[in-house]
Amino acid sequence: MKPRIEVRGAGIRFGALQVFRGIDLEVGEREVVAIVGPSGCGKTTLLRCINGLIPLTEGEITIEGEPLAAPREGVAMVFQHFGLFPWKTVFQNVAYGLRLAGASRAEIADKAQKFIDVVGLTGFENYYPYQISGGMQQRCGLARALSVAPRVLLMDEPFGAVDAQTREILQFELLSIWETRPTSMVFVTHAIDEAVLMGDRVLVLKGSPSAVHEVVDVQLPRPRNRATLLHPRFAELREHVWQTLMADARKAEFKVTQ
Amino acid sequence: MPRRNWILYATMFASLALGAAAWELAGHLTSDAFWAPLSTTLKSLGEVVHNGVLLRQAASSFELYLTGLALAVVVGAPFGVLLARITWLRVALEDYIMMLYATPMVALIPFILSMMGFGFAPKVLVVFLFAVFPVLYNTVEGARSVRPELIEVAHSFRSGEWALWRDVMIPYTLPFAMTGIRQAIARGLVGMVAAEFFLSPSGLGQMIMMGSQNFDTASMLAAILIMVLLGVGLMDIGLYLEKRFAAWRGYNP
Repeated sequence: MKPRIEVRGAGIRFGALQVFRGIDLEVGEREVVAIVGPSGCGKTTLLRCINGLIPLTEGEITIEGEPLAAPREGVAMVFQHFGLFPWKTVFQNVAYGLRLAGASRAEIADKAQKFIDVVGLTGFENYYPYQISGGMQQRCGLARALSVAPRVLLMDEPFGAVDAQTREILQFELLSIWETRPTSMVFVTHAIDEAVLMGDRVLVLKGSPSAVHEVVDVQLPRPRNRATLLHPRFAELREHVWQTLMADARKAEFKVTQ
Repeated sequence: MPRRNWILYATMFASLALGAAAWELAGHLTSDAFWAPLSTTLKSLGEVVHNGVLLRQAASSFELYLTGLALAVVVGAPFGVLLARITWLRVALEDYIMMLYATPMVALIPFILSMMGFGFAPKVLVVFLFAVFPVLYNTVEGARSVRPELIEVAHSFRSGEWALWRDVMIPYTLPFAMTGIRQAIARGLVGMVAAEFFLSPSGLGQMIMMGSQNFDTASMLAAILIMVLLGVGLMDIGLYLEKRFAAWRGYNP
């Protein structure tokens, strides 16, 4: 079966700065690939390339067999800082993607409400983003992405801006939402345990310019839930990725910019 | 709290009453040609209200003012967003805009007079020039400060340029444009009086000029008083509009 997302020899160069090069990646129809790496390794940039927001300087991306040139129908992104419009209510924010996709008024009312319910924001439809917590804002961002029925879901450190407890709650809710409507998902994070918990595979980016250092085949049973955290293999993989990344992390932290 | 409010209101009214008393006293202590007492001013105001002069002159001023202000908003706000979206256009025009914004517009009036003469159009142009730059400047700066992430969200959801204006640029920029419009409301009023003084005399400006030339200080002060009330009222409307459109900014002024 052909993978839904195919990345071949992807590279990005901004002027003199080569951010990453030679990245290959395939994501199947019901597969989650987590990308983990130190800050500045270009993992978020790679995700934007897969969304079609930034063109690659080398290599090629195809989605559902078609070469990518601009943002495609059927691909939706959840943003690190939520990306909600502060002048729109929760309902209007969720409805945004549907409206741009040209859905009818009745369809928007129906679907937006459905996904507001799915992410647990029922009763908060008429709140503005500044009136609700960060966790609730990201639930809204997730509902907006889900409402367009994406076949590819791109997650850009979606829980990086919420507190630790909310983050855990949202991780497990996302896992259970994904179980009921599995799609291709690319999950970018700098948290190693999150990468192992979410991914069927974990792509470890490293180096400068960064490249794929290792692809970890997770092979933890699904559905994943809190019990997954107690699985011996979870601890083993987390430790393995930690060793891979952390040896360099201290070097990176103490590096002085020339 | 109610007690505190009461004290604040009492202080405000005492201050206004003291000002009115000082006005009255100053009038009685000097000649009428120099400074008319409040009572004489109000009597003169009553006369011009009664014989219809005030209504006619105020209507004439208002027509000029609103035409100039409306043009400034209709031109300034959309052009401001356009300049924020099209970098080369902004870079090309930015210096001219700054120069004109910094120029005291009164200095241009003799030039406008020699170019366009005494009609209604040159006066509207003066009000427009006074009012347009704060709208334009605030709109450009506002539209440029839109969070890049929001534009990225729009592109990610496959928004076209027009939908981007409708859903992102205009709602985001509106509070900034309103700040500019509030400044334009005040500057347009200056432009209105300047146009009525230095181009063909008309409206409230003409009333002030005539009162001054006839040593009729009372009617001059009456016209000025009306203008003050007009200015205060318009500023309040501007503030209300600004707050109304910035409700969502409540947490992040």
